[in-house]
Amino acid sequence: MGTGGALAPPVLSLALVLVVGLPILWLSIAALGALGSGSNGLAARMLPTALRETGLLMVSVGLVTGAAGLTAAWLVTHYDFPLRRLFDWALVLPLAVPTYLAAYAYVEFLDFTGPIQSALRQINGAQTIREYWFPDIRSQWGATLVLSAVLYPYSYVACRTFFLMQSTALGIAARTLGAGGTRTFFEIIVPISRPALVVGMTLAMMEVVNDLGAVQYFGINAVTAVIYSTWINRSDFGGAAQLAVTVVLVIGLLIVAEQRARQARAYAAQRDSRVPPARERLGGARRWLACGFCAILFLFGFGIPAGELAYLSVRLWHPQTVALTLGALAPTVTLGLAGAVVTVGLGLLAARLGETGAGPRRELIRLSTLGYAIPGTVLALGLLQPLGQADLWFNRMTMALFDWRPGLILSGSMAALVYVYAIRFLAVSHSTLDAAMRKRGRSMLDAGRTLGAGRLAVLLRVDLPTLMPALLSAGTLVFVEIVKELPATLLLRPLGVETLATLVYSRANVGLFAQAALPALCIVLVGLIPVILASWAGDRRKV
Amino acid sequence: MTKTAHLFGALLATTVLCGVATPAFAQSGEVNIYSYREQSLLQPLLDRFTAETGITANVLYAGDGLLERVAAEGELSPADVVLTVDIGNLVGAEEQGLTQPITTPALAERVPEAFRDDDGNWTALSLRSRVFYVSKDRVDATALTYEDLASEEWKGRICTRSGTHAYNIGLIAHYIAANGEDKAREWLTKVRDNLAFAPTGNDRGQVKSILDGTCDLAIVNTYYMGAMLNNEAEPEQKDWANAARIIYPDAEGAGTQVNVAGGFIAKHAPNVENANALIEFLLSDEAQSIYADTNYEFPVVPGAPINELVLSWGELKASEVPLTEVAAYRDEAAALVDELKFDEGPQN
Repeated sequence: MGTGGALAPPVLSLALVLVVGLPILWLSIAALGALGSGSNGLAARMLPTALRETGLLMVSVGLVTGAAGLTAAWLVTHYDFPLRRLFDWALVLPLAVPTYLAAYAYVEFLDFTGPIQSALRQINGAQTIREYWFPDIRSQWGATLVLSAVLYPYSYVACRTFFLMQSTALGIAARTLGAGGTRTFFEIIVPISRPALVVGMTLAMMEVVNDLGAVQYFGINAVTAVIYSTWINRSDFGGAAQLAVTVVLVIGLLIVAEQRARQARAYAAQRDSRVPPARERLGGARRWLACGFCAILFLFGFGIPAGELAYLSVRLWHPQTVALTLGALAPTVTLGLAGAVVTVGLGLLAARLGETGAGPRRELIRLSTLGYAIPGTVLALGLLQPLGQADLWFNRMTMALFDWRPGLILSGSMAALVYVYAIRFLAVSHSTLDAAMRKRGRSMLDAGRTLGAGRLAVLLRVDLPTLMPALLSAGTLVFVEIVKELPATLLLRPLGVETLATLVYSRANVGLFAQAALPALCIVLVGLIPVILASWAGDRRKV
Repeated sequence: MTKTAHLFGALLATTVLCGVATPAFAQSGEVNIYSYREQSLLQPLLDRFTAETGITANVLYAGDGLLERVAAEGELSPADVVLTVDIGNLVGAEEQGLTQPITTPALAERVPEAFRDDDGNWTALSLRSRVFYVSKDRVDATALTYEDLASEEWKGRICTRSGTHAYNIGLIAHYIAANGEDKAREWLTKVRDNLAFAPTGNDRGQVKSILDGTCDLAIVNTYYMGAMLNNEAEPEQKDWANAARIIYPDAEGAGTQVNVAGGFIAKHAPNVENANALIEFLLSDEAQSIYADTNYEFPVVPGAPINELVLSWGELKASEVPLTEVAAYRDEAAALVDELKFDEGPQN
């Protein structure tokens, strides 16, 4: 690297952190500024309920997904039972269903006019719901179940990977010493898999905090819903900013917990024998119990929501719905592609900066990838004003210099959204590219330089081509996340732009969700792409 | 492979540049609309407007957050006309300094004083009322009052959407304006305790609860009855609507609370003339009858025809409490909803 190059990486790293941290900085200033005004009364009034409801939901979803994911991962990696090979990858499919879609689909499914209650009335001859008991899904426990149904794969994937890499010696020793399968599970498996479990549960809990559509639909006063209504229904930006900053602090605690767990896991993985555990063949009723458990998880997390959407799409097939869906397709794809390109570009930069850097720079890079933990509602809230200001300054400058007014270049275009996506999904692209670059090493690049190629030539002819598979898979992952993203898109989308997600949201909220089943189904289908790609990649590796 | 990769890259870069950095609207021969109103209602109106004036209408539809957006965009905002619902939003826009006076003479000629700002900062374009939908099977009453909502007789039988929604804030603010805050607190406490379940879902969902039997009286806006009875895309909604009938509260007393859908011209509107032309068109008999027939609302222009289905629900006797007074109690209403934890449902 040249002389400029020596200085550039630290400066670039810092710039990256500032760019990513801008919305949080802005909100913190706004929140402090609002302390003097009347809105702190509002934040104080709303906060206890909001934190309690969100906290309750996080803890309950964390526990349910942790238990379900761990058990499923343990069964799939340690035992052989009917359909095990299918469940091994099918249990990941619920990741294709965003939380808000699960909420909408479950309400349709369990509602009075849905298939379950209709069948029930056929049997008991009742006319109204007062003649029989049926639980109300629009409640705290309903939200727990619905969110858990689609979020358990985080724990499942983390634990499954952990088990596959974990030495089986401990388990075998326990069995040899006479402990039964159940005792081994609770006294050996659960304690040693704690690090993986914490990672899976934290990711699920972050999804819970990020969710807006589901909690609004279920009438739960979760923090994101309260931030949204404080800002939108009460026009109180300062109050919303105070709530948002509190949420960020809570998330900060979660991140610390997760980082500790990751470090602990690195220690546990060192003992890995890299021999997959031998699977015990289950006999009798137990094999069906194991099969049934996995089947229920799959059904609740994917079968029912996706099935309900498919059923509604077919039953309410209407030219108007098709036209709406097609209309939303182009903006969705454009945003997804633009967001993917920018996010992968930034991810590449971050990975490159972290590759050679010393301790502090690595810390900066890690800090810049924490955006995945910040709810989209908070990021949108924090970006609207600074981007508006930037537009204003830029327009004043161009007016003064060229007598030309370009208009809202940042806040009125898709740029604002691409910015939010880049913050939220930088972790996705960075981790993919970082892993690929570590695996590849630097020898080819050094060879290129030694053979006399310039830096640009090395970048274009060696660096990028060798990273192409990682670039493409990072791009795909980010694209899919963007298609599923709701809260930020909802608040920042440009004029006249309706994406699949916002289309579904707006229909659902005026009581016309059934008519939005088709665009909803499209989102799920797009969400399946990375799952399918990952399972293909997994198959290739086995061969 | 490398060629494909380059091509792919170039394609992506083009997409990014074209798709991302282009502001959506141009600024001549056009009018830019930010709309809370749904496309199904607005499109027929705008098609007629464009046919008659040759002015192209660009629309951003959004359920929420448009005023915040206009405010954030400031002097660069492309918005000419903002179409919104609820008096609170209209008055709020004026208070936030987002409006400029409407200058078309049609405003004063056609809109009654009660339904427009004195300085023309906003105008109502149609009227709607928040009324009671009661079960045809389980409710015999033909006349009810707002006070009835608080009576023991309705314990566990009332349902409504979130108390923080603008429609309910409007209703509660109207009660405060008519009866004072202390009485309103007492009333709203009892209404809360009479709820069948914690407020959830939207207006249509409440009517569905009447069909499924969880609720006997739903507090819902009038026009949903028409929209649901004529919903061909999702015909089940006809069954929901058929389970209920409408009662105008206080029809025999002080009158029913009326709310508005309306609009204003944005302070920094780039096309002020076209914006005025649009407002003038929306106040024409033709447009008013489209409001009445497409969305089952009441025209704001006296003498414009009312849809027959709407007439079949009975005669609307509007409350005398001025809209601006209702709007002034909006913050008190919101604070009351928070204080009583209305959205957490019955507590006694």
